[in-house]
Amino acid sequence: MKYDKIKDTLLSEVDSGLKFAQSLDNAAEFELFLYYRSNSNVEIRQGVVKATDGIVAGNAIRAAKDQRVSFSSSSGITPDRIKRSVREAIASLKATSEKDTRFQGFCEPKPPGKEGKFASKILELTTDDLVKFTLQIIGDMSTVNGRILAAADSNISWGGFAIGNTRGLQEVSCSVYNAGSAYAMAIDGEERRTAWEALVTREKPLDVTGLGEKAATKARSLLGAKKLNQTTVLPTLWVPEAAASYVLSSLQQSAKGNNVVEGLSPIAEKLGEKIAGSSFTLVDDGQNPLGIETEAIDAEGYPQKRTTIIKQGVLKQFLFDSYYGQIAEKPLTGNSSRAGGPFGSSLCYEYTPTIIGKNLEVSPGTKTEDELIASIDGQALLIVDVPIGIFHSDVATGEFSAVASSVFLIENGEKKMPLEPISVAGSFYKGLEQLQGIGNNAVMTSLLVKTPSLLIDGFSVTG
Amino acid sequence: MLETLQAAVSYGEKLGADFVEARFDDLTLRTLRRINDTWKDIILKSRTGVGITCYYDATPGYSFTASEDKEDVNETVKRAYKMAKAASTAASLKLDFNERPAVKSQPSDTFNVKVHPRTKDLDFKMDLINRMVESAREAGKDIQNVTGRYGELFGQKIFTNSEGSDINWDFLVVDLPCRVTSKTSTGALVFGSERKAGTLGLEIYKQKGFTPEEIGKAAGEFAAEQITAKACPAGKFTALTDNDLTGVLAHESFGHLSEADFVVMGMSPLVDKIGTRLGTKHATIVDGGVPNITKNGGLWIPYDDQGTKANMTTILDKGILRHYLQNRGTAKNLNQEPTGNCRAVHFGFIPIPRMTNTYFMPGDLTKEEALEQLGTGIYAIQTSGGQVEGDGSFLFKADRGYWVEHGKIQHPIREVSLSGNILQLLTQVEGATRDLSLMGTYFGGCGKGGQHPLPCGLGGPKLLIKDVTFGGQA
Repeated sequence: MKYDKIKDTLLSEVDSGLKFAQSLDNAAEFELFLYYRSNSNVEIRQGVVKATDGIVAGNAIRAAKDQRVSFSSSSGITPDRIKRSVREAIASLKATSEKDTRFQGFCEPKPPGKEGKFASKILELTTDDLVKFTLQIIGDMSTVNGRILAAADSNISWGGFAIGNTRGLQEVSCSVYNAGSAYAMAIDGEERRTAWEALVTREKPLDVTGLGEKAATKARSLLGAKKLNQTTVLPTLWVPEAAASYVLSSLQQSAKGNNVVEGLSPIAEKLGEKIAGSSFTLVDDGQNPLGIETEAIDAEGYPQKRTTIIKQGVLKQFLFDSYYGQIAEKPLTGNSSRAGGPFGSSLCYEYTPTIIGKNLEVSPGTKTEDELIASIDGQALLIVDVPIGIFHSDVATGEFSAVASSVFLIENGEKKMPLEPISVAGSFYKGLEQLQGIGNNAVMTSLLVKTPSLLIDGFSVTG
Repeated sequence: MLETLQAAVSYGEKLGADFVEARFDDLTLRTLRRINDTWKDIILKSRTGVGITCYYDATPGYSFTASEDKEDVNETVKRAYKMAKAASTAASLKLDFNERPAVKSQPSDTFNVKVHPRTKDLDFKMDLINRMVESAREAGKDIQNVTGRYGELFGQKIFTNSEGSDINWDFLVVDLPCRVTSKTSTGALVFGSERKAGTLGLEIYKQKGFTPEEIGKAAGEFAAEQITAKACPAGKFTALTDNDLTGVLAHESFGHLSEADFVVMGMSPLVDKIGTRLGTKHATIVDGGVPNITKNGGLWIPYDDQGTKANMTTILDKGILRHYLQNRGTAKNLNQEPTGNCRAVHFGFIPIPRMTNTYFMPGDLTKEEALEQLGTGIYAIQTSGGQVEGDGSFLFKADRGYWVEHGKIQHPIREVSLSGNILQLLTQVEGATRDLSLMGTYFGGCGKGGQHPLPCGLGGPKLLIKDVTFGGQA
């Protein structure tokens, strides 16, 4: 299927599928989700090439009757596969008397938001272009001195999804993007240090110039690491990629309406309270035209929106889908997702709607990263990549323990030598309260969070 | 379906491919989830599709389709061939592989259970969760949330290739986890969890120790215990890791480093270390697709997704590195045998070297002897996962733990995380208990190269390790 045929095709199948469902049980409520996406990828790792190209297509239906709700999905978007899902969902409904007493119905129709921008030139890219991008990234890495092991990939992804339900909602949204990444491992004797850089773009085809060199240079700068040799409490400066992991592991989790409603969010009772330093503002902008997660609608068909979560340190709003928004009696924020985001599943249609931040953005501060470093008295740590294990933190406790393996010592306002991996532990939320500074260097990270560097005091470090 | 796959192989060869692999998955996945009194998920998924790998000049190209239609499958072969041909121009390291005899599967290759999940209705499975959740509520204190889940994944996997292999077997994993979140007097949230999972029939949930009531009770009690737990101290301590955590250590740290694609590319610290002593005599790590499920648990994976029959591979033998986890191409490059470790999460992914069941072998200590030998340190229990970097740096989260002094458990601790470098850690293993248990889960799973979650088995005995770095309160 060509890109320009996706919308009509998906909407037509949604309409037919819903009619079929109602023909089997006109007393039930139905919601049908169709997904179609082309993914092409070329990966080169130390000269070994792997190339893939395929269409991910699938359907999912939710059926509801007397507050019993079932979900069924199957691979493909052909009428026979859709009918298979419909029959299974109805069979599941009949097979149980267990109710979801909080279920109040599927999403009501609303005018959609806007799709993100994209360059039609991305759709014209070929496998040969992907090979060329990937080779260029690898070639750039080889310009850096020393022993560097190189891996890179580039890909094109285009497609869309459509949703319809028996409340009259029928919407569709499409998107296109082009991405590339560079992974470098610098080796000196038995010492190995790694770095990763990535680019995702939808407004123009990839320009990978400098990407490989940046990764290789960063990996090389981490060689010669020394032991910290102490267990103590130190300030930590998180560069954007690391800061993004902090935001994703903490506020993205605790601001989700499901965790708030289910009693699993440590900030559930803190609306209107100051929970972070006064200069900290966090928004989720599902309508940023250049945001990778920007779509006209969310995964239930509700228009995506811009939501301020924290403004100048004060907790303003949580993120909701229709299910939890209705339970909490809060406005919907268009944050329903089916296994999307940076850790999403390729078969996202197999997942029931849940809540996710779309395009999280931390507002920049006024200081450069160098000025933040210069503002530090005594020792601190500069964390330059995502700490190992930070995503294994538990949302309910708000406590974390992770290993910063790409880290430098800061001493008396200057960046010093790289350090061997250091365990960093503490409470995400106490950390936000002890925010010492925010950089002016906000960038879109590979974790799809736009953030500047964050300087935080009060974490235990061991190494 | 085999005929369609065989036709796809012939078509790929006709296009010009040197070698073609074709596979078909027809899998059913069921997920049930109850949160407190609400049934949040009653889910059934049918995952059906065809994956084609074409090799051109020792370079793979991969494509897939959800369709079983011959024309669509042929179109998929064309795409895979086109990708292979384009990619071959950029490959400077080519992973050719040796010809092997065709592999034919037998009906006995599918693991038989007494009560297969396909034979039980939805209410039976929901009742397992209800009983588990109610039991957790009775056992817990100051409960904020109880979540009970049930998962099953089963179905047919068919494979053929240019050598004429004919493989057809059924995968199965079931999982029944419970998680209880409680609130402390200061408002902090703590949790406890328990589960029983693996290639199992549902008869397991009638067996003593694994009933839904016992799983729920354990989760409730663990959460209640955490209410008064102290923060884990930061610093270096001797550790005793329980069987599950030992398994994560084997999988996340050493297992990934032994995957041969990392080795071929020079990215693993295990490059050129075959025959080298890396650990103490107490450290033996194996991987295999057909463990003694009845006795020890785990996952049944008799063939990988490249048609290689499962092996039991001794990766680390009493501290000495013996073998990597191979696919056919890496095996030839490294002059070893394929090990049955070429796996894909589903038909949408190209198979790559992955683990099957990876575990430390047991030693000769009882738990009491291990604690006595531990002296003063931390007994770290259960796990919510971990992560390893290419240089061997790792971090693992234990769900809970105990502070131990003079071989006696003193008090519970929370936020227990272990970190370090695996190659260093292996030299610090001081003993292992004699019990061996494995688990393979439906919820969770392994991630690599964008492919997740892949069901993997892991486990081992309890492992005694000195000088482990624990993150926590300074």
